Amino acid sequence: MNLRRFRGRGEKDAELTEEIRSHLAHDEDLRTARGVDAEEARRQARVKFGPQNSVHEEEWRYRSLPWLENLWRDLKFVARSLGKTPGFTIVAIVVIAVGIGVNTAVFSVINTVLLKPLIFPDQDSLVDLMNTSPRGSGPGANIPKFRIWREQTSIFSKVAGFDFGGAGLNLTGGDKPQQVQGVHVTQQYFSMLGAPVIMGRTFTQAEDSPNGGRVTVLSYALWKSRFGDDPKIVGKTIQLDGQPYLVLGVIGKSFVTDTPTDLYLPFQFDMNSQDQAHYFIVAARLKPGITIGQANAQLKLAADEYRRTYGPMAMGPQDGFGVASLAEMWVGDSRTSLWVLMGAVGFVLLIACANVANLMLVRATGRKRELATRAALGAGRGMIVRQLLTESLALALTGGALGLVLGAVGVRLLLAIAPAGIPRIGEDGSAVTPDWHVLLFTLGVSVLTGILFGLAPAIGASRPNLVAALNESSNRSGVGFRSGKLRSALVISEMALALILVIGAALLIRTFMKLEAVNPGYDTRNVLTMAMSISGDRFQKTAGVAQLVKDGTDRLTALPGVTGAAATCCLPLEGGFGLGFNIVGRPNGNNPITGGAGYDTVSWNYFNTFKIPLLRGRMFTEQDSGSAPGVVIINEALAKQYWPKGKGDPLKDRLEIGPGMGPNFKEQPRQIIGIVGDTRVRALDRQPDPMMYTPIAQMPDGMTALNSRIAPLMWVVHSQVEPHSLAAPMAEALRVASGGLPVAHIRTMEEIVVLNTSRQRFNMLLLTIFGASALLMAAIGIYGLMAYSVQQRTQEMGIRMALGAQASHIRNMVIRQGMVLALIGVVIGIAGAFGLTRFLASFLFDVKPWDPLAFVVTPLLLAAVALLAVWVPAERAVRVDPMAALRFE
Amino acid sequence: MASGKRGPVAGEMLQGTLDMLILRTLVMGAAHGHTIAQVIEHTSENALEVEQGSLYPALHRLEDRGLVSAKWGVSENNRRARFYQLTAAGRRKLAAATSRWRQMTRAIGLILGEEAD
Repeated sequence: MNLRRFRGRGEKDAELTEEIRSHLAHDEDLRTARGVDAEEARRQARVKFGPQNSVHEEEWRYRSLPWLENLWRDLKFVARSLGKTPGFTIVAIVVIAVGIGVNTAVFSVINTVLLKPLIFPDQDSLVDLMNTSPRGSGPGANIPKFRIWREQTSIFSKVAGFDFGGAGLNLTGGDKPQQVQGVHVTQQYFSMLGAPVIMGRTFTQAEDSPNGGRVTVLSYALWKSRFGDDPKIVGKTIQLDGQPYLVLGVIGKSFVTDTPTDLYLPFQFDMNSQDQAHYFIVAARLKPGITIGQANAQLKLAADEYRRTYGPMAMGPQDGFGVASLAEMWVGDSRTSLWVLMGAVGFVLLIACANVANLMLVRATGRKRELATRAALGAGRGMIVRQLLTESLALALTGGALGLVLGAVGVRLLLAIAPAGIPRIGEDGSAVTPDWHVLLFTLGVSVLTGILFGLAPAIGASRPNLVAALNESSNRSGVGFRSGKLRSALVISEMALALILVIGAALLIRTFMKLEAVNPGYDTRNVLTMAMSISGDRFQKTAGVAQLVKDGTDRLTALPGVTGAAATCCLPLEGGFGLGFNIVGRPNGNNPITGGAGYDTVSWNYFNTFKIPLLRGRMFTEQDSGSAPGVVIINEALAKQYWPKGKGDPLKDRLEIGPGMGPNFKEQPRQIIGIVGDTRVRALDRQPDPMMYTPIAQMPDGMTALNSRIAPLMWVVHSQVEPHSLAAPMAEALRVASGGLPVAHIRTMEEIVVLNTSRQRFNMLLLTIFGASALLMAAIGIYGLMAYSVQQRTQEMGIRMALGAQASHIRNMVIRQGMVLALIGVVIGIAGAFGLTRFLASFLFDVKPWDPLAFVVTPLLLAAVALLAVWVPAERAVRVDPMAALRFE
Repeated sequence: MASGKRGPVAGEMLQGTLDMLILRTLVMGAAHGHTIAQVIEHTSENALEVEQGSLYPALHRLEDRGLVSAKWGVSENNRRARFYQLTAAGRRKLAAATSRWRQMTRAIGLILGEEAD
């Protein structure tokens, strides 16, 4: 409404003029008609009308938008005054932009990677079911456990099982076969996690029972990529491992789990099964009002019942059940990481603010006289404050806009240099968008800082004591003592904060270098791996798999350039199985079993292919077949743990693997025939785990069937040539050997290592970016202060030089003053870093939080940067022409 | 908006009262500013003396609120003048304002009458 009035008010005013003229003419007409002479009529009409100007003014005010006009005037003024000091303006805007941009970019990525995966509706009531023991607790379930957990309806509203990863299935019937990730789930899985069904439906209880038919639910991604978002896909049949599966429904795009999933299959458990094999995970939704404590109390009773039913072999006297918050399980170990990075975000923000504050202070102090002059000429205090406010806002918002651009570009850049395998960033990082909360927060803090430090001196300057301010004719001869101190304090804190960040970054860089140098115990160079899904009927018995492994190995070994080929259930660093064991003839005391260890099934040439050294005994050979006596090879860690000195010779003992697992997995004790070197299989920064290796050809049929169902078979070759060049011939050789099965996930072992260290690499990258931007801003800060100080003291310098001071003397004086501040900052920073780096301890590998190298090199680096930042103004001071300086004022 | 608070308001007349009088004047038909001023003065037997200049801001506010419409035309004196005409909204507003005014004057009259007793 006001705007409508406001528009075209110039024309309105012209119209008013004409209207007034018309009014006066009519009044004159009236008076002349009564006989008044023309001149007098004119006068009377004007008197009668009253002051014309006030009519105009009233109309003009009525049609005005005062705030807008004032703003416009202020903005014009600000643009002029900022334009006069381009150096200041650019530095201020860049500082704000870098602060906002870096923070926004990094936080947006962290937010997506670490925070957002928890997207299930009402996820606080979601829990993982755990097996507890005095040694710790972990997830994992078998069918009897799942059954008893499902019966706890007093605490759980929904209970669902799902497998972790899945075997991979061969999807055929299109242009070419494709290996897809199928995850097995139980009926309540979708409703428990609140998965949106965009088409069709999910499994019924009948379909999730034995003989429930071949049915599947597709993920959004597969539906889109493989079936071209066919709107009539529901009710169609697709070919998986050569069998027809009926598509029941499609799950919406927003449903994201940690395990990438192409399609879902029902577990179809036989709920009467007594199998003790653990091969899936169970989660549950707590009933409203039930706490984790209450659930744990109820599960204690359930554990007692389980022990009574299945005996102490299935559950030791000290073992039990429990629940853990799903959110905590999934983000738990990221939390420290999150806090460290948030701390870094905060530091960068503080440095940016200190810089803005410093710049505003410098500027306001320099303008003391200007402001006093304006006040003397009648500018109201409100007007001056408003104008300074506009100035701060203009700077902050320009910086903010630039920061937004920087943030958006930064996110892309970060994703581009981020190592592969950062979880949850979506396709090409599409899931990561600049985070508005951080952007607004950072912008708000910068604006506030600008206002606070821009206004404080201004309010002081606009106080009525103008005479003093104006008389301080030579405000260039010295800087107000108090604000000088404040500015020095700001520069010192910037230095200290920057040093802490850079030391943090240095520690992570050192960690990463150590990780790169670690010897994993297996060869990673010239090793190519690929996965083959063998979930079809042919591979339910060990003999079938053994035949495939033999045919495949033979064909691979025959390829030119290949020096060794093997198959295994599990690649290093990619997760694996663990099983309990008994040492035959050794009493167990109170424990149901002797111990537990990692359990890999491998083909005979596995150790040679990976160049894992044999320490004692012998390797597997092709003769260790299904009909030969059972054998097992252990690693050094297992030997040391269970056969310490004087406790006998492992090579003379036999192992009973997986005792109490049930009849399907029952096997005879195996002779230990060899001890191999330790390998880091869980992660490069984790100590080697104790391991047992058995030949694939000697697995019990039940174990083979389970393995084939839940995990793909991994092929490994060692080559003399560049391994990727072997990808195509290998895939072809294996296709022929397997009678047409495709392979997937073709990667070198080096790529798997990179993936495994991606978290460390990413943390290092982020903290390095923070450290670098902190360093840059601290350098700008100290440079700004010294440059200003030199400029303020031009006259003093001139006098000194006129009195005969050497150029080197002047230069050293400036450098000394700057470096004193920098070094105080460095000392405080070192102290701060000593206190803070221990929070980084969990990120470090083989590097102490007070790593001497980081604590010596980093301060030197910082001091060098500070020296450079101080050198430039010092040089300028030397080049002062004494005559010009004395005439400066 | 600061408008209307300063500057010559019509004598001691209340803002709303002047608006009402203008609208009342226009019931007879379209008129230009000078005529409106004359009519208000004459019909009130010169008791309400309008400082004529103040009429125009009032007229333009009424125009903005859609209570009157205006267009340029030629007056009885053969001069160019801006003619104001009551709109439908203006008619409704006048009816409402008139009845409220009547109620108020009646109430004031009652109070004064009682006090006089």
